[in-house]
Amino acid sequence: MLTIKHFSKCYKGGKKAVDDLNLVIEPGDIYGFIGHNGAGKTTTIRAVVGVLDFEEGDIEIDGISIKRDPVACKAITAYIPDNPDLYEHLTGIQYLNFIGDLFSVSKADRESLIKKYGDDFQITAYFGDLISSYSHGMKQKLAIISALIHRPKLLVLDEPFVGLDPKAAHMLKTIMADLCSNGSAIFFSTHVLDVAEKLCNKIAIIKAGKLITHGKTEEVKGDNSLENVFLELIDHD
Amino acid sequence: MINIWRLTKIQLLSSFGLNKALHTHDVKERRRLLLLSIVILISVVMVGVVSFGYSFMMALTFEQIGRMDLLLAIMMAVASVIGFFTTIYKASGVLFSFKDYDLVMSLPIKTSHVVASRVLQLYVLNLFFTLMVMLPAGVVYAIKVNPGVFYYLLYLTTLLFIPLIPIIAATIIGSLISWISSRFKGSQVISLILTFAVIIAVMFGSFRMNGSVQILSDMGTQLADMIFKLYPLTSIYVDAVCSYQMGSFLLFIVISVLAFMLFTIVLGTRFKAIYTGITTSHASSKYQMKPLEAASPFLALYRKELRRYISSSLYVLNTSIGMILLLAMSISLLFISSEKLGQLVEIPQLSTYLSKLAPLVVSMFVTLSCTTSSSISLEGKNIWILKSSPVPKQTILLSKIAVNLTVTIPILIVSYVLLMISLRTGWIESLLLLAIPMIYACYSAMMGVLVNLKFPNLEWTSEVTAIKQSASVIVAMLIGFISLVIPFALVLLLSHVNGNLILLGIGLIMIAVCSVIFRYIRTKGEQLFQTL
Repeated sequence: MLTIKHFSKCYKGGKKAVDDLNLVIEPGDIYGFIGHNGAGKTTTIRAVVGVLDFEEGDIEIDGISIKRDPVACKAITAYIPDNPDLYEHLTGIQYLNFIGDLFSVSKADRESLIKKYGDDFQITAYFGDLISSYSHGMKQKLAIISALIHRPKLLVLDEPFVGLDPKAAHMLKTIMADLCSNGSAIFFSTHVLDVAEKLCNKIAIIKAGKLITHGKTEEVKGDNSLENVFLELIDHD
Repeated sequence: MINIWRLTKIQLLSSFGLNKALHTHDVKERRRLLLLSIVILISVVMVGVVSFGYSFMMALTFEQIGRMDLLLAIMMAVASVIGFFTTIYKASGVLFSFKDYDLVMSLPIKTSHVVASRVLQLYVLNLFFTLMVMLPAGVVYAIKVNPGVFYYLLYLTTLLFIPLIPIIAATIIGSLISWISSRFKGSQVISLILTFAVIIAVMFGSFRMNGSVQILSDMGTQLADMIFKLYPLTSIYVDAVCSYQMGSFLLFIVISVLAFMLFTIVLGTRFKAIYTGITTSHASSKYQMKPLEAASPFLALYRKELRRYISSSLYVLNTSIGMILLLAMSISLLFISSEKLGQLVEIPQLSTYLSKLAPLVVSMFVTLSCTTSSSISLEGKNIWILKSSPVPKQTILLSKIAVNLTVTIPILIVSYVLLMISLRTGWIESLLLLAIPMIYACYSAMMGVLVNLKFPNLEWTSEVTAIKQSASVIVAMLIGFISLVIPFALVLLLSHVNGNLILLGIGLIMIAVCSVIFRYIRTKGEQLFQTL
């Protein structure tokens, strides 16, 4: 579903934020992307969803290069950034309808999915209010719903559990599992290692822009906890 | 006190991409900023030269009647009016629309100091206008009067205090508007209506004043009396600078500083209440799912952009004032003949020029109403939504152009009909009167998008930075100005050639320019948008 081939990203001044990254995420995968602050997780995620331009390597979604046909890639991808800055001058429902229009979601689908996810996250009653009146968690829920209404093949999330209440976090995990059972793939970054350990079937650990380990969660952590493995790998030069 | 300066410095550094210019290591970026600095410098020199010429011409008249002090009095009044007029627009935005409100207000700093830093930001920007008007006037005065050293000392010191009172007066009105608006549900709309009302009232007042100035222009003492009566601070200023009266000098400074201090303290007490009133949304939280309306991506983007436009009173005020002025002029011309208007503004052949240049005059108002030059910057931190959406970027850019045309075209058509009636234009002139401004409307909207793509500012904390103090807005304004000055000059210089023919040529050239920009947006727009 997602293939990252020799992806590198240099920032102005020559410093490499990500160096020769290779990853393959298959349909049905919940792929956790773990690393320190500044390790290159967000840079990778932003390149995958076509927000960040890059020169070296290639990224393919469902066999389509994001460089060659970004619009086709984006049409099957959904992205939720770590800090969902949404259009505060729109109401929740206006925003969802706007996203529905951009992703050409049919009227029937968008109505039923908005209703379903709105009720799941207990936010439907607030859809008529301006986003500027929403709390951080409500904005996060709205961003999640907007990502789900076009039934993405690839869901990319940057620190998705930050700001969510326990019930919403549980709901998101259930939705993620449902999506993958239907053949979609999920690629997400997190600092919450417990969640990654329980939720992900595959894990990649990145340090200073370089991939230091990746594979099935059981293989990466072995008999240890993911936390111990992560700390050992990160501290070891 | 040091905190006021610290806060002011932080805000000013974010203006005009100043901080970026100081810290960027990117050669391309540096080259672009250098180019921008040169453009700004050229504009400053151009304005300075015009201002000097204006002062010099006036000085010739005042020299004859032996009242050179009137030059400084009038120019001080002009600087004050400019300061007042330009501050009303942005006072509310600078004071109450900053995203770092929570951060700033949680710091161990007095609220009055936060207010002071905001007013000082307005002050620094207005000091520029004051210098542009007063420096050439001061030089002309010195050339003509040859005053002693004391003049320079008093003149330069008072320069720094001239903008204070006009800014405070405008900020009081801006704050009052915000305070009243904050009590209503649709605070932004109320604020917009009230600000427009005040601006139109001020314009009407100054129009009436112009008429009186004209009548009194030959009578030096009466003119002085009138200016001194309208704005008493000019009298104190003239006494201080021209007559070296230390009492007046001190009084001028004390009044300015005291007004500033008093205002910041008083507003400081109501600041949080006003901000909370403006920013608190009315949430009913009773929404029930209704049938939704599906639209094409372009229409969805257009609606979103239009909602964004209407949601910001600062954005509307700054970009629609040109069209409001055009409508006001078109309506006025129904009641005042162009010959009379020519007599009133002392341009003897105005009616002839107007019949020749009307399409360009109307185009001038249209280019003043460029919403696109800040429309990409205004996406700010929301840019990820558009960048990650499966829509060709040219569709996004075209939706922004469409909103600009929505602002300009309807008023343009109404004004066209009114002008056609009042100017009694022939059929070719009528056609040009409609076609040329229409072409300029398309040109201005597309050029704004292009300039904003080249000079984006997505890191703003206050909308004012994107709408009024960003490089893209200045560059777009300058390009718009140049695009009109050249045709104006051509029509005036080639007076022996048929004016309609020249206008037709200009129209064809502008169509060619528009198609080049359109093609560029279609081919390179995607790439430029992606690098944002």
